[in-house]
This record gives sequence, C-alpha cells and structure tokens, in this order.
Amino acid sequence: MRLYDPTSSGPQKTLYRAAAIANLDGRTMGVLENGKLNAVEMLRELAALFEAHHGCTLRAVYSKSNPSAPAPAGVLARAAAEVDFLITGLGD
Amino acid sequence: MPFESYRIHEVPDDVLAALEYCYEQGWTDGLPVVPPVTDRVKATLAHEGRPPEAVIATHPATGLQLSVHAAAVNAVMAGCLPEYFQVLIAAFEAMDKPEFNFHGSTASTGGSAPLLIVSGPVADDIGMNADVNLFGPGNRANATIGRAVRLILRNVFQMIPGISDKSTQGHPGKYSFCIAERARGNPWPLLCEAQGYPPGISSVTVFAAGGFCNVENHGGNTPEQILGSVADAMANYGCITLGQSVVIVAPEHMRIIADARWSREDAQSYLFARAKRPVEGMRNVGKYRDSEYDKQHDGASHPIVEPGQFHRGLWPEDILITMGGGDAGGHSCFVPSWSRGRGSIMQHKPIGVCIDCC
Repeated sequence: MRLYDPTSSGPQKTLYRAAAIANLDGRTMGVLENGKLNAVEMLRELAALFEAHHGCTLRAVYSKSNPSAPAPAGVLARAAAEVDFLITGLGD
Repeated sequence: MPFESYRIHEVPDDVLAALEYCYEQGWTDGLPVVPPVTDRVKATLAHEGRPPEAVIATHPATGLQLSVHAAAVNAVMAGCLPEYFQVLIAAFEAMDKPEFNFHGSTASTGGSAPLLIVSGPVADDIGMNADVNLFGPGNRANATIGRAVRLILRNVFQMIPGISDKSTQGHPGKYSFCIAERARGNPWPLLCEAQGYPPGISSVTVFAAGGFCNVENHGGNTPEQILGSVADAMANYGCITLGQSVVIVAPEHMRIIADARWSREDAQSYLFARAKRPVEGMRNVGKYRDSEYDKQHDGASHPIVEPGQFHRGLWPEDILITMGGGDAGGHSCFVPSWSRGRGSIMQHKPIGVCIDCC
C-alpha cells in the first residue's frame, strides 16, 4: 500500500538567529510590549533588573496592537536602529 | 510537480496496519484516520482546478505552505469524499487572509477552533447537515470537512498540542467544527447573499471560535425575550470582550423573530445594544481596561454604544446571526470569539469559484 505524506511539501523557510551580544554591560535596551494585561509592568520589571545588574539603559517602549501577530515591520526596524537589544514576552 | 515526486510511504498491504502506521507517524488527531492511499488522493485532486503544487495558505511565522496536494491528502485522511474538497479549499483561502490570523488563534492558550459555516446550494449538493443535531455527530460532510481542517493545522502547519498549540483547555470543536446554514424556512437572506456573492454561489465563513454556549428559552414569545436571553449569554463576564460573535438561532426561535418581522439587521442591533456589562461590573471581575473601553467609545463609536457600558464587539455587524438546527426545541446558541477579542476577524470566501480572478 502506498500512502502520500500529509505534511508540508513546500519549501521550508530558513530562520536565522541574530548574533548574540557579547557583553550586556552598558547596552541600550527596548521593551516590546504586546498589549496584554500586565505586559508593560512585567517587562519593565525585567528591564529594571538589566539596569541594576548590567548598567543597561531602557531607551524605548514599543507596542504591538495584536499580541498574537508579528510586530509591524516598521516597529522592528525602528527598534533595530535605536537599541542594542529588545525584551519581549507574554504578560499573562 | 509530478505525482511521483511527492513523498510516499510504502506500508504493508493491510488497512489496519496502515492505520497504525499513521498513528506511529503522529499524523492523527487521536482518532483513526483513513490511510491516504495514492489513488484516493488523486480522486480528490480531480475536484480542484488548480495544479497540486498550487499554494492555498502560508503560515505567517514558519513559512510552511499548504498545497492543494497536501490538502487533498489530509482530506482523505479525515474521511472526506472528493466532492467536499472545494469547501476545504475555500475555507483555507479564507483562513489565509491576514485578518484571520490563523497562527495566533491556533497557537494561543485561548484554545479556539476554526468554525466553518457553509452557506448556499453547495451545502445540499454535498449532503451537509443544517438541521437536527446541527453541531453534533452523524453527518459525514460536516464531520470530515471540519476534521480535515484540524488535520491540516496539525500535519501541514505543525500546530502540535503542547508544542505550538498551547491551548489551556481547548474545546471539542478542535476535532471538528463545521456546520451548514439552514436555508429551509430561513426568513432572512442567506449569508452568501448577504456577503454579496452572485446568485447560486455558495460561501464558507471561518470564525476563530471558543466553546459553544447553548441558549435555552422555551418560555419567550417575543423577539425581545428570545434575543434578550441570547444577549445575556453573549455578555457573561467569562465571555465579554471586544470580539465578534456567532449566533445560530433555532427554527423555533426564528419563527418568533420572523413573525414580528424583524430583519437580520434588527436582530444584530438589538443584540449589540443589550450584550453589555457596566464598567463597574467589569472592574469588579478584574476585566476592565481603559484601552478597550476607549476603543469602543472613541469618536468613531457606533451610535448604540452607551457611556459607562462595555458592549460585546464594536458594532452590530460584529454579530453573525443566522438560522440552524432542528425544527423542535427552544435551543439556540452563541459561539464566542477566540480569547480576548479582535485578534482574529471572521472571513469568508466563495466555494468552487474565484470571483475576482478574471
């Protein structure tokens, strides 16, 4: 009996990780909040830890209007130009 | 792409062994599947005009693509007859619209399932159920089209429970959630007509849906009483958000509404006006948020929106309402949108035709 495979047969998207930052000390950071309840509060707390432990500076807070959709390309481009790294995550 | 180039698994010539093989590969929803033998897949493909390699939908995060061929394989596994295939294809064309956000609605802890509502003559042509036991078992087309959607999400888009599907609880519609709109005795234009499709063209509407909520009312004899109980279900504190709604009105309830000459628009406005909770109540249960209230009460808000009240949805058109179910019984239903609201907006597509291709 011959069965067709039911999984995707199309080309796979190649995903790349950004190069890791060698040293966090003194870096600038941004927060990308997703609009969920408590997201900003939780991410600001996390940013405060980076400030306390690594001397980082929170330079900007960016927002997504839809928590479950990718951030708009313009927001990501602006963040890439303005900060060394970005903190994001769920808020609930 | 020639058929020979698609991945093929050689298995012993024994149906039960093939069925177990499908389990071993992780291709099932937990229930047995029909082994996707090549001849049956080709018979399904014969019901689609586009070539097997044509892409129907693309996952926005992983780039995984649903081809016509992969859709046919999963349709066979779900138990679909070839003539059902056009509905499945149209459903994924609708789900592929960015506003539907099928990645988010499938991955989310909210645990939604795509609800398919088939409207128009194709429902009868392929033997779908719009009548008694509408959401229940017993009809092959309803059951297997809905199931094929889930198998594609799992097998093609790799939305695997616990890995990329993080539903906290999910709901039974994640096995299959597909109904037909009831045309017989329906006093309102069918959805496909209201959606603007030419006469004779059917449509499928997709809605990222939470669990089903039965609305029982055997004592009401006016539209206000019937729809008042529906509105209360829509606005319960566990469900109320800015999200859209689906309301399927039982024929017994619809007769009361139609006898009073209420149009679909009248019903939508009535429901929107009454599916609400006071801001204070929202605060009491910890669900009030300034940004959501402001979105509903900004300068462009609908005239029905009341100050100090939080309505379900943004405007009456957020409520899809039509008729379905068996003749007897005062049981309508409300189906809430996925999780917090407007992360997914319902979409529709014509079935078996391309309206804007030429």
